[in-house]
Amino acid sequence: MPETRPGQERFVAPIDETPLRAIDAVDVDAVPESQWKEAWKRLRVSPLFWLSVVIIGFIAIMIAFPTLFTSADPTQGSLDNSFEPAREGHPFGFTQQGYDVWARTVYGARASVAVGLLSAILTAVLGMITGAIAGFYGGIVDTLISRISDIFFSIPLLLACIVVISVINNTWPNRGFWGSVLVVVVALALFAWPQITRQMRGAVLEIKNLEFVDAATAIGVTKMKNLWRHIVPNALAPVIVASTISLGVFIVAETSLSFLGLGLPPNVASWGNDLSAAQNQVRSGQHLQLMYVPAAALALTVLGFILLGEAVREALDPKARKK
Amino acid sequence: MWWYVAKRLLQTIPVFLGATLIIFFLLKLRPGDPILNLAGNKPVSPEVRDALAAQYHIDDPLWQQWIFFVKNAVTFNFGETFAGQPVIELIQQTFPVTVVLAVMALAIDGFLGISLGTIAGLRRNGWFDSSMLVTSLLLLSIPIFVLGFVMQLIFGVKLGWTSPTVGGDWNVGRLILPAIVLAIANFAYTLRLCRTSVAENLTADHVRTARAKGLPAGQVVVKHVLRNSLVPVVTYMGINLGALMAGAIITETIFNVPGIGNAAYTAIFKGETSTVVAIVTFMVMVYVLTSLVVDLLYALLDPRIRYA
Repeated sequence: MPETRPGQERFVAPIDETPLRAIDAVDVDAVPESQWKEAWKRLRVSPLFWLSVVIIGFIAIMIAFPTLFTSADPTQGSLDNSFEPAREGHPFGFTQQGYDVWARTVYGARASVAVGLLSAILTAVLGMITGAIAGFYGGIVDTLISRISDIFFSIPLLLACIVVISVINNTWPNRGFWGSVLVVVVALALFAWPQITRQMRGAVLEIKNLEFVDAATAIGVTKMKNLWRHIVPNALAPVIVASTISLGVFIVAETSLSFLGLGLPPNVASWGNDLSAAQNQVRSGQHLQLMYVPAAALALTVLGFILLGEAVREALDPKARKK
Repeated sequence: MWWYVAKRLLQTIPVFLGATLIIFFLLKLRPGDPILNLAGNKPVSPEVRDALAAQYHIDDPLWQQWIFFVKNAVTFNFGETFAGQPVIELIQQTFPVTVVLAVMALAIDGFLGISLGTIAGLRRNGWFDSSMLVTSLLLLSIPIFVLGFVMQLIFGVKLGWTSPTVGGDWNVGRLILPAIVLAIANFAYTLRLCRTSVAENLTADHVRTARAKGLPAGQVVVKHVLRNSLVPVVTYMGINLGALMAGAIITETIFNVPGIGNAAYTAIFKGETSTVVAIVTFMVMVYVLTSLVVDLLYALLDPRIRYA
């Protein structure tokens, strides 16, 4: 569709250039397409979307089939190999502990993406439920949820995670892979949900007064069913965009926590741990690949999710782009 | 105006109390005998135990303990580090450095973010806008400490423009590099917010009027577009001052800046949970307070807020 001219509200086909048949061909009785179908139509032709799909697909393959990328074992370190340069089968050499840098990076994707994905899902679920309830019921429930979310919002995310994880480290020191992932995920989600809550609440407030909700109420749909079947699906768009972008932010947050020694335990192969372990060498300007390789993998992954979020945002809200 | 100030002050109190409640509960989740924790896990005599219990209100009901916790936080009575230094003394030594660092970072972030964001917003979807979009996305996807190390290596070690670490005798010149790194963490957000805000205001009616009455383009941008566009940007940056101080933990560690973030990192590293909690409590107080001040300034600048 041609773009509207400045100051023009909607597109008007130039009458003299448009054949009558084309106007007649518009099917007035066609069932209007749902918001998601329309968004998918726009997404399908967005280069940004396909770029993000390629990046995320690549990372997903790396997580599912790490042996396709490396034959080395990320858990096998030998001090004989300490700081050995690259050689056949080990494209980026070895770490101080004699681990294969590339193998650590390939296998590290699992922990980092697991933290990002699970935190984003947990944050979205918490935020959606609280936001929907606050927006829909209003009154005292709304006040209560809003004030509680204010409190959690008032503590900066990284600071909050530092306290939560240092306390849990005392309580539950040796907790294995999934235990460690769980702790980081819960700490991140516990202080990140208010942002989603606010967005969801705003969207629900906007939608609950629209005619189709009144119509649903008029034909006797119960309050609960109205909320979950009619209001929530229509309020999801901004939450989905924010959650996709937050996924990347959480992956970065995990590396920051690992850098502080509070992320995943050092025996877990994760990008945060690799970067944290590389800091002393990089500071002295040696063995730079120890940092560049995991950092590049990390940046690529985060970029993939941010781009996906941007593409979905544009697809769901084409107006924002045109303006 | 006074009504707004009073309302906003009243709102701060429950937020502050709630935040201390969360931290307090997290502390209570710590395992083990709190008295043994205080005494460094050595066996203590009953007299010492009683004295410690009385001093730290350990046998009182939980809600009373929380009230003492809040009282101690408000009166800056944070206890001592394991080395016997009062935590408040540690904060007094380190906090000013962090404030200087955060303000410098804020200035860099504001200058670059607003100027580049305005240009990008004025020429929306042009080549400059697109390259800024790519830059901001790249900056968002690289962890701040990786950037910190890379810049330290390039400007501090390889080129030797500035000292790679700051050290005890800090000065503003040495803080420039860490401040830039800290600013980069927020630059992407400031830039994009400013860009969107400028682009939105550009199509507003009052801007069209200003153009229609024949104002030169530069004046339209400075007096009519920027003035309105900057309100959300400045608010965001003000609220971010607290987050900047939190981000300082990583930057200060990399550049060995003797600030509060570095003190927090050292405490984490040594496993001094009580010191970590004290510093975080202090930073949360600073954060809540700065958002309050920013909100009040915001209301002062923009009459729409206080009458809303």
